[in-house]
Amino acid sequence: MPPKPPSAGKEKLIDDDEEVLQAVILADSFNKRFRPLTTRKPRCLLPICNAPLLDWTFESLALAGVQEIFVICRSHAEQVKAAIRESKWSKPGSGIKIVPILTAKETFSPGDAMRDIYTRGLVTSDFVLVMGDLVSNIRIDEVVRVHKERRKTNKNAIMTMVVKESGARHRTKARGDSSVFVLDPETSECLYYEPVTAFPQTTLAHVPREVLAAHPEIEIRNDLIDCSIDVCSVEVPSLFQDNFDYLDIRRDFVHGVLTSDLLMKNIHCYVAKDGYAARVKDTKSYESVSKDILSRWTFPLVPDDNHPSGHVYDHERGNKYIAKDHSVVLARTCKIGNNTLIGSSTHISENAQVLASVIGKNCSIGTSTIIRNSYIFDGTVVGSDCIIERSIIGSNVTIKDGTEIQKGCLLGDGVIIGPAAKLSPFQRLSKKPDEADEPTSDDEDDEDSDLEEVEELQGSIPKNLGKDSNALVWPTAPSEDAEEDEIANFKNERFMRLGDDASDLDDSDDGSESSSSESESDDDSDFDVNASSLTAPSDTSLPLNLPAGSPMAESEFQTEVKQSLERAFAEGHSVDNAAVELKTLRMASNVPLTRVREAVVAAIVEKIQVVDTGAVAQRKEIASVIARWGELIDRIGGVDPVETVAALQSHCASSKHLPLFGQILAALYQDDIVEEDDIRKWHKLPVSKGEGLKAKEDELENLRKCWSIGAHMIKQFDEQESESDEDDDDEDEQDDETAKLQSSEMVKPESEEDSEEESEEETQETTGNPKVEAKLESEEGSDESEEETSGSAAQLEREKDASGGNVDVVVDQTARKQETSEEESSEEEESGEDESEEEVVKPLAKAEASVQHEVKGAAGVEDKDKSPVVVAAGEGATAQSEEEEDDDEDEDEDEDEEEDEDEEDSDEEEDSDNAEGSQAADGLKGDTVLKQTK
Amino acid sequence: MSTDTFGGASQRSVDNLASRLRRRQVVGSRATALETLLVLRQVVSKARFSNMEQLVEIIRSVGRRLVDAQPKEHSVGNTVRKVLHHIREEYHTASGTNAATMPQTFSIAKFVLLGQPRQHTVAPKAGGAKGTLKENDPDDPDSFARGLKPVLMEAIQDVLDELETVYDNVSKNAKDHIHSDEIILTLGMSKTVEAFLKSAAHHRKYTVIVAETAPSYGGREMAQSLSSAGISTFLVPDSSMFAIMSRVNKVILGAHAIFANGGMFATSGSLIAATAAQAHRTPVVVCAGQFKLTPLWNLYHEYGALDFGDPNSVLGFEEGDLVDKVEVVNPYYDYIGPELIDGFITNDGDHPPSSIYRLLKETYDDEDNEL
Repeated sequence: MPPKPPSAGKEKLIDDDEEVLQAVILADSFNKRFRPLTTRKPRCLLPICNAPLLDWTFESLALAGVQEIFVICRSHAEQVKAAIRESKWSKPGSGIKIVPILTAKETFSPGDAMRDIYTRGLVTSDFVLVMGDLVSNIRIDEVVRVHKERRKTNKNAIMTMVVKESGARHRTKARGDSSVFVLDPETSECLYYEPVTAFPQTTLAHVPREVLAAHPEIEIRNDLIDCSIDVCSVEVPSLFQDNFDYLDIRRDFVHGVLTSDLLMKNIHCYVAKDGYAARVKDTKSYESVSKDILSRWTFPLVPDDNHPSGHVYDHERGNKYIAKDHSVVLARTCKIGNNTLIGSSTHISENAQVLASVIGKNCSIGTSTIIRNSYIFDGTVVGSDCIIERSIIGSNVTIKDGTEIQKGCLLGDGVIIGPAAKLSPFQRLSKKPDEADEPTSDDEDDEDSDLEEVEELQGSIPKNLGKDSNALVWPTAPSEDAEEDEIANFKNERFMRLGDDASDLDDSDDGSESSSSESESDDDSDFDVNASSLTAPSDTSLPLNLPAGSPMAESEFQTEVKQSLERAFAEGHSVDNAAVELKTLRMASNVPLTRVREAVVAAIVEKIQVVDTGAVAQRKEIASVIARWGELIDRIGGVDPVETVAALQSHCASSKHLPLFGQILAALYQDDIVEEDDIRKWHKLPVSKGEGLKAKEDELENLRKCWSIGAHMIKQFDEQESESDEDDDDEDEQDDETAKLQSSEMVKPESEEDSEEESEEETQETTGNPKVEAKLESEEGSDESEEETSGSAAQLEREKDASGGNVDVVVDQTARKQETSEEESSEEEESGEDESEEEVVKPLAKAEASVQHEVKGAAGVEDKDKSPVVVAAGEGATAQSEEEEDDDEDEDEDEDEEEDEDEEDSDEEEDSDNAEGSQAADGLKGDTVLKQTK
Repeated sequence: MSTDTFGGASQRSVDNLASRLRRRQVVGSRATALETLLVLRQVVSKARFSNMEQLVEIIRSVGRRLVDAQPKEHSVGNTVRKVLHHIREEYHTASGTNAATMPQTFSIAKFVLLGQPRQHTVAPKAGGAKGTLKENDPDDPDSFARGLKPVLMEAIQDVLDELETVYDNVSKNAKDHIHSDEIILTLGMSKTVEAFLKSAAHHRKYTVIVAETAPSYGGREMAQSLSSAGISTFLVPDSSMFAIMSRVNKVILGAHAIFANGGMFATSGSLIAATAAQAHRTPVVVCAGQFKLTPLWNLYHEYGALDFGDPNSVLGFEEGDLVDKVEVVNPYYDYIGPELIDGFITNDGDHPPSSIYRLLKETYDDEDNEL
């Protein structure tokens, strides 16, 4: 343990400020971007501008008046501890108490570290969480003050993230690892967060529509540098403890908290106007942060003023910093360029050029050597006539005469290369492990295994390292078995690599990668955004990973729900208790709300017993069950009656309760769980007809049966509206009816208008093409939430249905982007009809074809199946597409039939208004009759 | 001198101030001077010493550390020198060895070298202590410190009082410098100038033109303050300084540090004003407290001494494309040579630039010029 400052001093500080400000530094990077520089040293001890990163971080925190710092270290923990012990911070009078905390080797992510903080109970009040590679001069105390102020009024504001405005492009803003923040400009609450990767290029961000609904004004920003300075309240570590799958603080924790509708916690952003903050996340940001320090953005943390290691530098014109102790030897003819830092006791020989570089202490640069944009650590010797471009050279490296090092190279500590070696761009070298030193403590096991791996590969790598070299060359391409997640995949990492502009990736993106992303998204059946073929064929899109349970978890969840509801039914729980139980279950298995709804509807339907003794007994049974448990459907965390009907339909279609669909729907209607409008909306959905669903034939048939029942019910409603004048016995009912009448009237003319517009504008559209309907709905601004059905029609619709679940925001790597207007996008699609659309159309055509066959073959109840097709056709534009006619012979046939039917239907529609006999009509009528008789 | 000669508490307060100076948490000449003085008072009150040399060494070591922490705040070193000067004076008075050591011979060389004290030190106050001070008493090593400390505290208090009344003293003769219906140009936010102008406003009716003073825009604050005090004030952009100079009667500037040659560091933009004034033969007057007198000459025009801030106020960080391509220089101060200045108004009277060196000789002891 480091010597602590005398308690007297601490007490005094506590007296000064009633609360000690604590900070937690995660001094481990949890990735390997700096290898091989970090094989023998933790990243936080790598020098930047000749001071270890950790010292910069300490200084940043000291600037903010932090008094107690916990340093969480994992790899090379002993070195970190020693460094803290020897630094000026552990001297009495520094005013800061620094406690190194060693975590287990099993800590693989920041999330694990947070759980460790929780179990150790380190923090007692609001604390500042930073990474061990932060360089900042932001007044964090101001952020803490704002945070605490906010906490006084809003207990749910658990975290404040510090972000810094940067432009569309900025050297300090990582292209490979940026984020989209959706902010409320008034409260600066962060409403939504999504990480953005450069490869595969993220072109769309998916903003949940609840965000748009709840906030009249939002900012969607991609121009913010995430400084990784978080002011957290004490709940934050415990949230990590509760959610053991949170790994990354941003991608998992922030995203998770913001998208969860159960936690009810808020996260705010602090957009820093003044001050500078950036992390040294990778070699590219190492360069940019170095440059920022040298050009004084970090003032007063600059080499000539408050250098964290206490070195003193002279500041000369052009931001040149030369150690002030007169130990630097600069030859008369050497050239020192702008933005250069030269450490003490360094010797630069005749005709050498050092341009925009950082040279450590005790280095020696030979004659006529050129060093450009490079970072050379302490004690390195560079021979004469060398060229070093844009590289990072470790400490005590020897580079012999005539060596050429091209951009992006990393040389580990103690490497010797040359003479006349030639390194190609992006080569990484480390020293061969010595037999002499055997440090194989547990601490370095994994490092050693890495080294061995590298050693094995030596034979296969062509190299020119000079005869005296002791270096191992690391492979540049990733090994095949390396697991890749989004941020850490090799190509994305290239955007974070020193000197790599990854321009080849930008170019090659277009053709080759869109196909791969398509196949990728096809796999992702649950949530599929395949925008590449629709909006902009050249762009690639990244399927968004919404929390969607795996099939395993889902089936498990289904059984769990079933069991818990059975228990609730059997033991007669209250609806509230059952709802709480369901919410918990949902949180535990992390499934979307839709699944819960499906499960609940299924369970309730199953609860209803099929009674053989007659329609009245059956109705009674249904009414009692729905009256007791129907409320539960709306209590599980969201009200969405349209989805409820769809769930009911899909369940009935696949169970023995099919004949009861109409009655149950009527019962739900009676209990106000489903409104007339909702039934209408459901009825309009193409999926309700079973279109585009990859279900079995008989199930499809059942689905369509249900749909026709719904159609009848709607007709019933229409009838009742016309008859409502006659209904005068029950006041309540009358009120109900008039309300419904009004609402239906409001819907009706609109849809008529739409269909007119449709027929004018889109003469190319075919009948029954879901696009038309989708457009209709989007124009109506209908409130359907996203459907969880798979199949191309549904996907296509989701793409088009802008008001559905998510709003797609085009993420160009530029500053703020507001969503593009829907009309534009849909027009684009229409004009640019490509192959992908044909693909979509085909299954549809098939589905329709099957409907047609049924119509021909079926009789009785099935006869009514005609009407859905007809209604859809009537609503959509009836004009035939010329393109489509050319398509297929079979389709032509179908379409011809359809056309014929279109004509009939206009008559038939009117007829069927009067027609009776369907089950739904039966049920509904029966119920009204019952009411009237009461 | 090792650090254990003074207590842990004062050690900590020195460290604390040093780090705050380094982090620029204490800025402004007067603020740093005050802080330094408070630390010195604590150090002296806790210090253990048995003769004068030890005491001086303690104070100098503290001064060295503070100056090293922030060499660009000259008032830190100045305050330490001033305290040393006063302590020696008090010691000489107390021990009765006062002016006896002063050579009474008259030679022009000696006169130039030492100067003639303008104000003779007041008659010895602590007459009772005379003769009782005994250095290096082997029986009671603390007796010297015990005897001298009250006097030392008094000396430091004198310096403190001077600092606290500096604005009043500078501005007490304001009405002699500003006449009715004059047009005064000033720039930046200097507390001294502000007090000076406000004091003159009690007696005279005049107009002030304040330049905005980019990039700090201290001029805006100044203009607001002056106009709220009832002075007719114009705020003009820096670029129009030359154009309006022909109508200006006097330029009044603040200073960051005044050098022995009569030159000074002042907020950036002052050099333009002074040069424009020179072109129009407009007098340039500098208002400053005596604690800004610095025994330095700025002979080599050291680049870094101008204290460069961060580019943020000149070029926003969000200008991502430019940040990479443009080198921004944002100095806090301009060096204004003595030839551009007509006079200094200090709390110790008015002086031409050419006699600043003499003022320095009176204020500090030669041996302290290098701490």
